[in-house]
Amino acid sequence: MDIGTIILLVILLALVGGVVALYNRLVQLRNQVRNAWRQIDVQLKRRHDLIPNLVETVKDYMGYEQETLQQVIEARGRAVQTEGQGPDAAMGAEQALSGALGRLFALMENYPDLKANRNIADLTEELAATENRIAFARQFYNDSVMAKNNAVETFPSNIVASLFGFKQGSYFEIETRERDVPSVDLR
Amino acid sequence: MCPAWICAEARGIDPRGCADVAMERVECPHCGAANRGGSTTCRMCGDLLAAGRRTSRRVQRKILRRTDFIAASRANQRATRWLLLVLAAIAVLLGYLVGWSVELSFRGPPPEAPAVWFLSRWGVLGGLGLLLLSLGWSALALSTGDRLVLRISGARPVTREQAPQLHNVVEEMAIAAGLARPAVYVIETPALNAFATGLSRRRAAIVVTRGLLETLSREELQGVVGHEMGHIVNLDMRYATAVGVTVGLVALVADLVARLAIFGGGRRSRGAGVWVGVIMLVFAVLAPVFARLVQMAVSRQREFLADATSVRLTRNPQGLIGALEKLGASQTPLDGVNRATQHLYIVNPLRNFTERASRLWATHPPIERRIHRLRNLGN
Repeated sequence: MDIGTIILLVILLALVGGVVALYNRLVQLRNQVRNAWRQIDVQLKRRHDLIPNLVETVKDYMGYEQETLQQVIEARGRAVQTEGQGPDAAMGAEQALSGALGRLFALMENYPDLKANRNIADLTEELAATENRIAFARQFYNDSVMAKNNAVETFPSNIVASLFGFKQGSYFEIETRERDVPSVDLR
Repeated sequence: MCPAWICAEARGIDPRGCADVAMERVECPHCGAANRGGSTTCRMCGDLLAAGRRTSRRVQRKILRRTDFIAASRANQRATRWLLLVLAAIAVLLGYLVGWSVELSFRGPPPEAPAVWFLSRWGVLGGLGLLLLSLGWSALALSTGDRLVLRISGARPVTREQAPQLHNVVEEMAIAAGLARPAVYVIETPALNAFATGLSRRRAAIVVTRGLLETLSREELQGVVGHEMGHIVNLDMRYATAVGVTVGLVALVADLVARLAIFGGGRRSRGAGVWVGVIMLVFAVLAPVFARLVQMAVSRQREFLADATSVRLTRNPQGLIGALEKLGASQTPLDGVNRATQHLYIVNPLRNFTERASRLWATHPPIERRIHRLRNLGN
Protein backbone atom coordinates (compact mmCIF):
# COMPACT_ATOMS: atom_id res chain seq x y z
CA MET A 1 0.00 0.00 0.00
CA ASP A 2 1.42 3.34 -0.91
CA ILE A 3 0.90 6.55 0.96
CA GLY A 4 -1.87 7.74 -1.37
CA THR A 5 -4.16 4.80 -0.65
CA ILE A 6 -3.62 5.18 3.06
CA ILE A 7 -4.58 8.84 2.97
CA LEU A 8 -7.63 8.01 0.87
CA LEU A 9 -8.65 5.29 3.32
CA VAL A 10 -8.28 7.61 6.29
CA ILE A 11 -10.39 10.28 4.63
CA LEU A 12 -13.04 7.73 3.74
CA LEU A 13 -13.10 6.39 7.28
CA ALA A 14 -13.43 9.89 8.74
CA LEU A 15 -16.30 10.62 6.35
CA VAL A 16 -18.19 7.47 7.27
CA GLY A 17 -17.60 8.13 10.97
CA GLY A 18 -18.89 11.67 10.61
CA VAL A 19 -22.03 10.54 8.81
CA VAL A 20 -22.71 7.89 11.46
CA ALA A 21 -22.27 10.42 14.28
CA LEU A 22 -24.56 12.97 12.61
CA TYR A 23 -27.17 10.32 11.83
CA ASN A 24 -27.20 9.14 15.45
CA ARG A 25 -27.54 12.71 16.65
CA LEU A 26 -30.49 13.29 14.36
CA VAL A 27 -32.21 10.11 15.53
CA GLN A 28 -31.66 11.18 19.12
CA LEU A 29 -33.23 14.56 18.44
CA ARG A 30 -36.15 13.01 16.63
CA ASN A 31 -36.84 10.67 19.53
CA GLN A 32 -36.59 13.55 21.95
CA VAL A 33 -39.22 15.45 19.97
CA ARG A 34 -41.52 12.41 19.97
CA ASN A 35 -41.04 11.88 23.68
CA ALA A 36 -41.74 15.53 24.41
CA TRP A 37 -44.91 15.28 22.35
CA ARG A 38 -46.12 12.36 24.45
CA GLN A 39 -45.18 14.21 27.61
CA ILE A 40 -47.71 16.93 26.79
CA ASP A 41 -50.38 14.23 26.52
CA VAL A 42 -49.41 12.81 29.90
CA GLN A 43 -49.76 16.20 31.55
CA LEU A 44 -53.11 16.90 29.89
CA LYS A 45 -54.43 13.57 31.18
CA ARG A 46 -53.22 14.49 34.65
CA ARG A 47 -55.29 17.64 34.55
CA HIS A 48 -58.39 15.74 33.53
CA ASP A 49 -57.96 13.43 36.51
CA LEU A 50 -57.70 16.30 38.95
CA ILE A 51 -60.74 18.28 37.91
CA PRO A 52 -63.56 16.04 39.34
CA ASN A 53 -61.83 16.29 42.71
CA LEU A 54 -61.69 20.06 42.52
CA VAL A 55 -65.30 20.46 41.44
CA GLU A 56 -66.45 18.13 44.22
CA THR A 57 -64.63 20.13 46.88
CA VAL A 58 -65.60 23.54 45.59
CA LYS A 59 -69.26 22.73 44.97
CA ASP A 60 -70.43 23.21 48.55
CA TYR A 61 -68.88 26.62 48.86
CA MET A 62 -69.77 27.97 45.48
CA GLY A 63 -73.45 27.14 45.17
CA TYR A 64 -74.16 30.29 43.23
CA GLU A 65 -71.59 29.56 40.59
CA GLN A 66 -73.29 26.46 39.18
CA GLU A 67 -72.93 27.77 35.67
CA THR A 68 -69.18 28.11 35.83
CA LEU A 69 -68.79 24.72 37.48
CA GLN A 70 -70.98 23.19 34.81
CA GLN A 71 -68.83 24.78 32.13
CA VAL A 72 -65.71 23.28 33.68
CA ILE A 73 -67.28 19.82 33.83
CA GLU A 74 -68.48 20.01 30.24
CA ALA A 75 -65.15 21.30 28.97
CA ARG A 76 -63.41 18.46 30.78
CA GLY A 77 -65.81 15.94 29.26
CA ARG A 78 -64.99 17.14 25.76
CA ALA A 79 -61.26 17.19 26.53
CA VAL A 80 -61.33 13.62 27.88
CA GLN A 81 -62.82 12.42 24.60
CA THR A 82 -59.79 13.65 22.72
CA GLU A 83 -57.38 11.78 24.99
CA GLY A 84 -54.84 9.65 23.19
CA GLN A 85 -55.22 11.47 19.88
CA GLY A 86 -52.19 13.64 20.47
CA PRO A 87 -52.00 17.24 21.60
CA ASP A 88 -52.77 18.54 18.11
CA ALA A 89 -56.25 17.04 18.03
CA ALA A 90 -56.87 17.91 21.64
CA MET A 91 -55.90 21.55 21.31
CA GLY A 92 -59.36 23.08 20.85
CA ALA A 93 -60.97 21.19 23.72
CA GLU A 94 -57.98 21.80 26.00
CA GLN A 95 -58.08 25.50 25.34
CA ALA A 96 -61.75 25.62 26.24
CA LEU A 97 -60.93 23.74 29.45
CA SER A 98 -58.11 26.18 30.28
CA GLY A 99 -60.51 29.07 29.78
CA ALA A 100 -63.21 27.52 32.00
CA LEU A 101 -60.67 26.75 34.72
CA GLY A 102 -59.32 30.28 34.52
CA ARG A 103 -62.81 31.67 35.12
CA LEU A 104 -63.32 29.29 38.03
CA PHE A 105 -60.05 30.36 39.63
CA ALA A 106 -60.92 33.99 39.18
CA LEU A 107 -64.30 33.42 40.88
CA MET A 108 -62.73 31.49 43.73
CA GLU A 109 -60.90 34.65 44.69
CA ASN A 110 -64.28 36.03 45.78
CA TYR A 111 -64.75 33.37 48.46
CA PRO A 112 -62.46 34.02 51.45
CA ASP A 113 -63.50 30.90 53.38
CA LEU A 114 -62.73 28.90 50.24
CA LYS A 115 -59.19 30.18 50.24
CA ALA A 116 -58.83 29.38 53.91
CA ASN A 117 -59.83 25.75 53.32
CA ARG A 118 -56.80 23.51 53.54
CA ASN A 119 -58.06 21.00 50.97
CA ILE A 120 -58.75 23.75 48.48
CA ALA A 121 -55.32 25.27 49.01
CA ASP A 122 -53.76 21.88 48.30
CA LEU A 123 -55.94 21.37 45.28
CA THR A 124 -55.26 24.77 43.78
CA GLU A 125 -51.54 24.16 44.24
CA GLU A 126 -51.97 20.86 42.41
CA LEU A 127 -53.91 22.49 39.61
CA ALA A 128 -51.49 25.39 39.33
CA ALA A 129 -48.68 22.84 39.17
CA THR A 130 -50.53 20.93 36.47
CA GLU A 131 -51.06 24.05 34.40
CA ASN A 132 -47.35 24.78 34.79
CA ARG A 133 -46.44 21.25 33.79
CA ILE A 134 -48.49 21.51 30.64
CA ALA A 135 -46.83 24.81 29.84
CA PHE A 136 -43.35 23.43 30.55
CA ALA A 137 -44.03 20.25 28.59
CA ARG A 138 -44.99 22.41 25.61
CA GLN A 139 -41.95 24.57 26.14
CA PHE A 140 -39.70 21.50 26.18
CA TYR A 141 -41.43 20.19 23.08
CA ASN A 142 -40.77 23.46 21.28
CA ASP A 143 -37.17 23.52 22.53
CA SER A 144 -36.72 19.98 21.20
CA VAL A 145 -38.23 20.95 17.87
CA MET A 146 -35.88 23.90 17.69
CA ALA A 147 -32.86 21.69 18.39
CA LYS A 148 -34.00 19.21 15.75
CA ASN A 149 -34.74 21.91 13.19
CA ASN A 150 -31.35 23.47 13.80
CA ALA A 151 -29.73 20.12 13.12
CA VAL A 152 -31.84 19.51 10.02
CA GLU A 153 -31.11 22.93 8.56
CA THR A 154 -27.48 23.60 9.43
CA PHE A 155 -24.43 22.34 7.62
CA PRO A 156 -23.16 19.60 7.63
CA SER A 157 -25.98 17.71 9.34
CA ASN A 158 -28.48 18.99 6.74
CA ILE A 159 -26.81 16.74 4.14
CA VAL A 160 -27.26 13.67 6.32
CA ALA A 161 -30.80 14.78 7.19
CA SER A 162 -31.84 15.04 3.55
CA LEU A 163 -30.10 11.73 2.77
CA PHE A 164 -32.14 9.86 5.37
CA GLY A 165 -35.32 11.88 5.12
CA PHE A 166 -35.33 13.76 8.43
CA LYS A 167 -37.96 16.48 8.28
CA GLN A 168 -38.36 19.70 10.19
CA GLY A 169 -40.74 19.49 13.12
CA SER A 170 -43.60 21.90 13.62
CA TYR A 171 -43.88 24.03 16.74
CA PHE A 172 -46.74 23.85 19.16
CA GLU A 173 -48.44 27.16 18.60
CA ILE A 174 -50.92 28.55 21.04
CA GLU A 175 -53.86 30.39 19.57
CA THR A 176 -54.21 33.93 20.74
CA ARG A 177 -57.43 33.14 22.53
CA GLU A 178 -55.63 31.12 25.18
CA ARG A 179 -53.07 33.82 25.71
CA ASP A 180 -55.84 36.22 26.71
CA VAL A 181 -56.26 36.65 30.40
CA PRO A 182 -59.69 35.38 31.46
CA SER A 183 -61.92 38.37 32.01
CA VAL A 184 -63.13 38.87 35.54
CA ASP A 185 -66.34 40.60 36.36
CA LEU A 186 -65.75 42.71 39.47
CA ARG A 187 -69.30 43.54 40.43
CA MET B 1 -15.82 63.12 47.62
CA CYS B 2 -12.41 62.26 48.93
CA PRO B 3 -12.14 60.32 52.17
CA ALA B 4 -9.64 62.86 53.40
CA TRP B 5 -12.55 65.23 53.92
CA ILE B 6 -12.36 64.70 57.65
CA CYS B 7 -8.93 66.24 57.93
CA ALA B 8 -9.85 68.80 55.31
CA GLU B 9 -12.81 69.84 57.39
CA ALA B 10 -10.67 69.95 60.49
CA ARG B 11 -8.40 72.34 58.72
CA GLY B 12 -11.32 74.43 57.65
CA ILE B 13 -11.00 73.74 53.94
CA ASP B 14 -13.93 72.92 51.74
CA PRO B 15 -13.65 69.13 51.35
CA ARG B 16 -14.83 69.27 47.76
CA GLY B 17 -11.83 71.34 46.86
CA CYS B 18 -9.53 68.52 47.81
CA ALA B 19 -7.29 67.56 44.92
CA ASP B 20 -6.64 63.99 45.89
CA VAL B 21 -8.45 62.38 42.94
CA ALA B 22 -6.81 58.99 43.41
CA MET B 23 -8.62 58.50 46.68
CA GLU B 24 -11.93 59.63 45.29
CA ARG B 25 -14.85 57.22 45.36
CA VAL B 26 -17.48 57.12 42.66
CA GLU B 27 -20.80 55.51 43.40
CA CYS B 28 -22.24 53.26 40.73
CA PRO B 29 -25.62 54.64 39.61
CA HIS B 30 -26.89 51.10 39.07
CA CYS B 31 -26.00 49.12 42.19
CA GLY B 32 -24.56 51.75 44.49
CA ALA B 33 -21.18 50.07 44.89
CA ALA B 34 -18.22 52.33 45.62
CA ASN B 35 -15.68 52.48 42.81
CA ARG B 36 -12.28 54.03 42.57
CA GLY B 37 -12.31 57.47 41.02
CA GLY B 38 -11.52 57.35 37.33
CA SER B 39 -12.65 53.77 36.80
CA THR B 40 -14.79 53.27 33.73
CA THR B 41 -17.02 50.36 34.67
CA CYS B 42 -18.49 49.36 37.99
CA ARG B 43 -16.51 46.65 39.74
CA MET B 44 -19.63 44.97 41.06
CA CYS B 45 -22.19 45.01 38.32
CA GLY B 46 -20.13 45.94 35.27
CA ASP B 47 -22.28 48.95 34.52
CA LEU B 48 -20.86 51.98 32.80
CA LEU B 49 -19.75 54.81 35.11
CA ALA B 50 -19.63 58.50 34.31
CA ALA B 51 -15.92 58.34 33.52
CA GLY B 52 -16.56 55.45 31.16
CA ARG B 53 -19.29 57.28 29.32
CA ARG B 54 -16.83 59.96 28.39
CA THR B 55 -14.22 57.58 27.08
CA SER B 56 -13.59 55.48 24.08
CA ARG B 57 -15.50 52.73 22.34
CA ARG B 58 -12.98 50.17 23.61
CA VAL B 59 -14.25 50.71 27.11
CA GLN B 60 -17.84 50.63 25.99
CA ARG B 61 -17.26 47.16 24.60
CA LYS B 62 -16.42 45.98 28.12
CA ILE B 63 -20.01 46.50 29.12
CA LEU B 64 -22.18 43.49 29.06
CA ARG B 65 -24.28 43.51 25.96
CA ARG B 66 -27.94 42.67 26.23
CA THR B 67 -28.20 39.05 25.37
CA ASP B 68 -30.48 36.04 25.47
CA PHE B 69 -30.06 32.97 27.60
CA ILE B 70 -28.86 30.75 24.77
CA ALA B 71 -26.02 33.11 23.88
CA ALA B 72 -25.21 33.52 27.56
CA SER B 73 -24.97 29.75 28.06
CA ARG B 74 -22.73 29.45 25.06
CA ALA B 75 -20.40 32.19 26.27
CA ASN B 76 -20.14 30.56 29.69
CA GLN B 77 -19.47 27.16 28.22
CA ARG B 78 -16.74 28.61 26.03
CA ALA B 79 -15.18 30.26 29.06
CA THR B 80 -15.22 26.97 30.96
CA ARG B 81 -13.54 25.20 28.08
CA TRP B 82 -10.70 27.73 28.02
CA LEU B 83 -10.26 27.52 31.77
CA LEU B 84 -10.12 23.73 31.65
CA LEU B 85 -7.50 23.96 28.92
CA VAL B 86 -5.41 26.25 31.10
CA LEU B 87 -5.74 23.86 34.02
CA ALA B 88 -4.71 20.90 31.86
CA ALA B 89 -1.73 22.90 30.61
CA ILE B 90 -0.64 23.61 34.17
CA ALA B 91 -0.90 19.92 35.05
CA VAL B 92 1.00 18.83 31.93
CA LEU B 93 3.76 21.39 32.49
CA LEU B 94 4.13 20.29 36.07
CA GLY B 95 4.27 16.63 35.08
CA TYR B 96 6.83 17.51 32.46
CA LEU B 97 8.99 19.25 35.04
CA VAL B 98 8.87 16.21 37.31
CA GLY B 99 9.81 13.83 34.51
CA TRP B 100 12.55 16.15 33.35
CA SER B 101 14.11 16.59 36.75
CA VAL B 102 13.97 12.86 37.43
CA GLU B 103 15.72 12.23 34.11
CA LEU B 104 18.36 14.82 34.92
CA SER B 105 19.08 13.54 38.39
CA PHE B 106 19.21 9.87 37.44
CA ARG B 107 20.95 9.99 34.11
CA GLY B 108 22.55 13.38 34.14
CA PRO B 109 22.18 15.82 31.24
CA PRO B 110 22.50 14.01 27.92
CA PRO B 111 25.96 15.04 26.68
CA GLU B 112 25.36 14.31 23.01
CA ALA B 113 22.38 16.60 22.37
CA PRO B 114 22.39 19.69 24.59
CA ALA B 115 20.58 21.69 21.91
CA VAL B 116 17.25 20.07 22.64
CA TRP B 117 17.62 19.95 26.40
CA PHE B 118 14.18 21.40 26.83
CA LEU B 119 12.46 18.41 25.23
CA SER B 120 13.03 15.59 27.65
CA ARG B 121 11.44 12.24 26.89
CA TRP B 122 10.83 11.55 30.55
CA GLY B 123 9.32 14.99 30.82
CA VAL B 124 6.76 14.25 28.10
CA LEU B 125 5.98 10.96 29.80
CA GLY B 126 5.58 12.76 33.12
CA GLY B 127 3.21 15.32 31.63
CA LEU B 128 0.99 12.72 30.02
CA GLY B 129 1.21 10.57 33.14
CA LEU B 130 -0.05 13.34 35.41
CA LEU B 131 -2.90 14.13 33.03
CA LEU B 132 -3.94 10.47 32.91
CA LEU B 133 -3.62 10.16 36.66
CA SER B 134 -5.93 13.12 37.24
CA LEU B 135 -8.45 11.71 34.75
CA GLY B 136 -8.38 8.29 36.42
CA TRP B 137 -8.65 9.75 39.88
CA SER B 138 -11.56 11.93 38.77
CA ALA B 139 -13.37 8.89 37.42
CA LEU B 140 -12.86 7.18 40.75
CA ALA B 141 -14.07 10.18 42.71
CA LEU B 142 -17.06 10.50 40.39
CA SER B 143 -18.34 7.07 41.30
CA THR B 144 -18.81 7.86 45.00
CA GLY B 145 -18.91 11.61 45.58
CA ASP B 146 -22.59 12.54 45.55
CA ARG B 147 -23.90 10.54 48.54
CA LEU B 148 -21.09 11.88 50.68
CA VAL B 149 -22.06 15.49 50.01
CA LEU B 150 -25.64 14.80 51.05
CA ARG B 151 -24.46 13.25 54.29
CA ILE B 152 -22.11 16.12 55.17
CA SER B 153 -24.78 18.76 54.60
CA GLY B 154 -27.27 17.05 56.91
CA ALA B 155 -29.99 16.86 54.27
CA ARG B 156 -32.79 14.34 54.55
CA PRO B 157 -35.30 13.26 51.91
CA VAL B 158 -38.84 14.64 52.02
CA THR B 159 -41.93 12.97 50.65
CA ARG B 160 -44.50 14.56 48.39
CA GLU B 161 -46.93 14.77 51.35
CA GLN B 162 -44.46 16.68 53.49
CA ALA B 163 -43.56 19.25 50.85
CA PRO B 164 -46.05 19.15 47.99
CA GLN B 165 -45.14 22.52 46.52
CA LEU B 166 -41.43 21.80 46.47
CA HIS B 167 -42.07 18.46 44.79
CA ASN B 168 -44.31 20.12 42.24
CA VAL B 169 -41.78 22.81 41.44
CA VAL B 170 -38.98 20.26 41.09
CA GLU B 171 -41.14 18.16 38.80
CA GLU B 172 -42.08 21.18 36.69
CA MET B 173 -38.44 22.09 36.23
CA ALA B 174 -37.58 18.48 35.39
CA ILE B 175 -40.26 18.54 32.70
CA ALA B 176 -38.94 21.82 31.35
CA ALA B 177 -35.45 20.34 31.21
CA GLY B 178 -36.69 17.03 29.82
CA LEU B 179 -35.03 15.03 32.60
CA ALA B 180 -36.10 12.45 35.12
CA ARG B 181 -37.25 13.99 38.39
CA PRO B 182 -34.33 14.26 40.82
CA ALA B 183 -34.62 13.24 44.46
CA VAL B 184 -35.76 16.04 46.78
CA TYR B 185 -34.02 16.78 50.08
CA VAL B 186 -34.49 19.40 52.77
CA ILE B 187 -32.03 20.71 55.36
CA GLU B 188 -33.79 21.74 58.57
CA THR B 189 -32.28 25.17 59.12
CA PRO B 190 -33.58 28.72 58.94
CA ALA B 191 -30.68 29.68 56.65
CA LEU B 192 -31.52 30.38 52.99
CA ASN B 193 -29.63 28.21 50.55
CA ALA B 194 -29.91 25.35 48.09
CA PHE B 195 -27.66 23.00 46.17
CA ALA B 196 -27.76 20.20 43.67
CA THR B 197 -25.67 17.10 43.56
CA GLY B 198 -25.55 14.10 41.29
CA LEU B 199 -22.95 12.75 38.97
CA SER B 200 -25.32 11.94 36.16
CA ARG B 201 -28.50 13.53 34.94
CA ARG B 202 -30.45 10.40 35.86
CA ARG B 203 -29.22 10.12 39.43
CA ALA B 204 -29.35 13.57 40.92
CA ALA B 205 -30.73 15.31 43.98
CA ILE B 206 -31.89 18.84 44.73
CA VAL B 207 -31.51 20.11 48.28
CA VAL B 208 -33.11 23.23 49.73
CA THR B 209 -33.17 24.57 53.27
CA ARG B 210 -36.34 24.89 55.33
CA GLY B 211 -35.79 28.62 55.57
CA LEU B 212 -35.80 28.88 51.80
CA LEU B 213 -39.10 27.03 51.57
CA GLU B 214 -40.69 29.33 54.10
CA THR B 215 -39.34 32.61 52.80
CA LEU B 216 -39.57 32.42 49.02
CA SER B 217 -42.69 32.75 46.91
CA ARG B 218 -43.55 29.97 44.48
CA GLU B 219 -42.12 31.94 41.59
CA GLU B 220 -38.85 32.56 43.41
CA LEU B 221 -38.61 28.94 44.52
CA GLN B 222 -39.02 27.98 40.89
CA GLY B 223 -36.10 30.22 39.95
CA VAL B 224 -33.89 28.61 42.59
CA VAL B 225 -34.90 25.07 41.64
CA GLY B 226 -34.35 26.02 38.00
CA HIS B 227 -30.82 27.13 38.91
CA GLU B 228 -30.16 23.79 40.61
CA MET B 229 -31.69 21.93 37.68
CA GLY B 230 -29.28 23.94 35.55
CA HIS B 231 -26.37 22.51 37.53
CA ILE B 232 -27.74 19.02 36.85
CA VAL B 233 -28.35 19.68 33.14
CA ASN B 234 -24.86 21.11 32.71
CA LEU B 235 -23.23 18.29 34.72
CA ASP B 236 -21.51 20.76 37.03
CA MET B 237 -20.90 18.15 39.69
CA ARG B 238 -18.65 16.33 37.24
CA TYR B 239 -16.83 19.50 36.31
CA ALA B 240 -16.34 20.45 39.92
CA THR B 241 -15.08 16.98 40.89
CA ALA B 242 -12.67 16.69 37.98
CA VAL B 243 -11.33 20.20 38.51
CA GLY B 244 -11.04 19.66 42.26
CA VAL B 245 -9.11 16.43 41.82
CA THR B 246 -6.76 18.02 39.31
CA VAL B 247 -6.12 21.02 41.52
CA GLY B 248 -5.40 18.72 44.46
CA LEU B 249 -3.01 16.67 42.37
CA VAL B 250 -1.23 19.78 41.14
CA ALA B 251 -0.76 20.96 44.71
CA LEU B 252 0.59 17.55 45.73
CA VAL B 253 3.00 17.24 42.83
CA ALA B 254 4.12 20.86 43.10
CA ASP B 255 5.11 20.13 46.67
CA LEU B 256 7.11 17.17 45.43
CA VAL B 257 8.78 19.29 42.76
CA ALA B 258 9.72 21.92 45.31
CA ARG B 259 11.43 19.25 47.41
CA LEU B 260 13.19 17.83 44.38
CA ALA B 261 14.40 21.29 43.43
CA ILE B 262 15.76 22.03 46.88
CA PHE B 263 17.24 18.68 47.89
CA GLY B 264 18.18 17.47 44.42
CA GLY B 265 20.10 20.69 43.82
CA GLY B 266 23.39 19.44 45.19
CA ARG B 267 23.82 16.85 42.52
CA ARG B 268 23.86 19.29 39.64
CA SER B 269 25.29 22.44 41.03
CA ARG B 270 26.88 23.59 37.80
CA GLY B 271 25.65 24.90 34.46
CA ALA B 272 22.09 24.14 33.41
CA GLY B 273 21.44 22.35 36.68
CA VAL B 274 21.12 25.57 38.63
CA TRP B 275 18.63 26.97 36.19
CA VAL B 276 16.64 23.78 36.28
CA GLY B 277 16.40 24.12 40.03
CA VAL B 278 15.31 27.74 39.86
CA ILE B 279 12.70 27.16 37.18
CA MET B 280 11.31 24.20 39.05
CA LEU B 281 11.10 26.08 42.31
CA VAL B 282 9.35 29.06 40.77
CA PHE B 283 6.89 26.85 38.95
CA ALA B 284 6.26 24.70 41.98
CA VAL B 285 5.31 27.79 43.95
CA LEU B 286 3.13 29.32 41.23
CA ALA B 287 1.37 26.24 39.83
CA PRO B 288 -0.91 25.49 42.80
CA VAL B 289 -1.86 29.16 43.09
CA PHE B 290 -2.81 29.41 39.44
CA ALA B 291 -4.57 26.05 39.49
CA ARG B 292 -6.67 27.26 42.41
CA LEU B 293 -7.47 30.52 40.63
CA VAL B 294 -8.62 28.57 37.59
CA GLN B 295 -10.77 26.38 39.81
CA MET B 296 -12.52 29.40 41.30
CA ALA B 297 -13.00 30.93 37.86
CA VAL B 298 -14.58 27.69 36.61
CA SER B 299 -16.88 27.68 39.61
CA ARG B 300 -18.00 31.25 38.92
CA GLN B 301 -18.62 30.56 35.25
CA ARG B 302 -20.74 27.54 36.14
CA GLU B 303 -22.82 29.70 38.48
CA PHE B 304 -23.52 32.18 35.69
CA LEU B 305 -24.31 29.27 33.41
CA ALA B 306 -26.76 27.79 35.90
CA ASP B 307 -28.45 31.20 36.24
CA ALA B 308 -28.84 31.39 32.47
CA THR B 309 -30.16 27.82 32.38
CA SER B 310 -32.67 28.67 35.10
CA VAL B 311 -34.04 31.44 32.91
CA ARG B 312 -34.13 29.07 29.94
CA LEU B 313 -36.24 26.65 32.00
CA THR B 314 -38.57 29.11 33.72
CA ARG B 315 -38.62 31.82 31.02
CA ASN B 316 -38.97 34.18 33.94
CA PRO B 317 -35.86 35.96 35.23
CA GLN B 318 -37.90 37.83 37.86
CA GLY B 319 -38.26 34.73 40.03
CA LEU B 320 -34.55 34.09 40.33
CA ILE B 321 -33.80 37.81 40.73
CA GLY B 322 -36.23 38.04 43.63
CA ALA B 323 -34.79 34.90 45.19
CA LEU B 324 -31.20 36.14 44.88
CA GLU B 325 -32.16 39.44 46.48
CA LYS B 326 -33.64 37.61 49.46
CA LEU B 327 -30.71 35.20 49.67
CA GLY B 328 -28.26 38.07 49.57
CA ALA B 329 -30.06 39.95 52.31
CA SER B 330 -30.19 36.93 54.63
CA GLN B 331 -27.56 36.76 57.33
CA THR B 332 -28.44 33.41 58.90
CA PRO B 333 -25.40 31.11 58.84
CA LEU B 334 -25.62 27.59 57.48
CA ASP B 335 -24.04 24.65 59.31
CA GLY B 336 -22.59 21.55 57.71
CA VAL B 337 -20.64 23.43 55.06
CA ASN B 338 -16.92 23.30 54.53
CA ARG B 339 -14.51 24.54 51.94
CA ALA B 340 -14.96 21.36 49.93
CA THR B 341 -18.69 21.80 49.47
CA GLN B 342 -19.08 25.58 49.43
CA HIS B 343 -19.05 25.81 45.64
CA LEU B 344 -22.17 23.64 45.37
CA TYR B 345 -24.57 26.08 46.96
CA ILE B 346 -26.61 28.67 45.08
CA VAL B 347 -24.96 31.43 47.09
CA ASN B 348 -21.73 30.88 48.95
CA PRO B 349 -22.62 30.04 52.55
CA LEU B 350 -19.16 30.76 53.95
CA ARG B 351 -18.31 34.11 52.55
CA ASN B 352 -19.52 37.63 52.81
CA PHE B 353 -20.69 38.12 49.24
CA THR B 354 -19.86 41.78 48.99
CA GLU B 355 -16.29 41.27 50.08
CA ARG B 356 -14.38 42.91 47.29
CA ALA B 357 -10.71 42.34 48.01
CA SER B 358 -10.81 38.64 47.22
CA ARG B 359 -13.09 38.39 44.23
CA LEU B 360 -10.56 36.30 42.34
CA TRP B 361 -10.70 33.72 45.12
CA ALA B 362 -14.46 33.54 45.34
CA THR B 363 -16.39 30.44 44.29
CA HIS B 364 -19.41 32.56 43.37
CA PRO B 365 -19.79 35.81 41.47
CA PRO B 366 -21.12 38.68 43.59
CA ILE B 367 -24.90 38.56 43.86
CA GLU B 368 -25.21 42.09 42.47
CA ARG B 369 -23.41 41.00 39.33
CA ARG B 370 -25.55 37.91 38.93
CA ILE B 371 -28.71 39.97 39.27
CA HIS B 372 -27.36 42.48 36.80
CA ARG B 373 -26.70 39.73 34.27
CA LEU B 374 -30.16 38.29 34.83
CA ARG B 375 -31.69 41.70 34.18
CA ASN B 376 -29.67 41.79 30.98
CA LEU B 377 -31.17 38.45 29.99
CA GLY B 378 -34.68 39.81 30.34
CA ASN B 379 -36.79 40.28 27.29
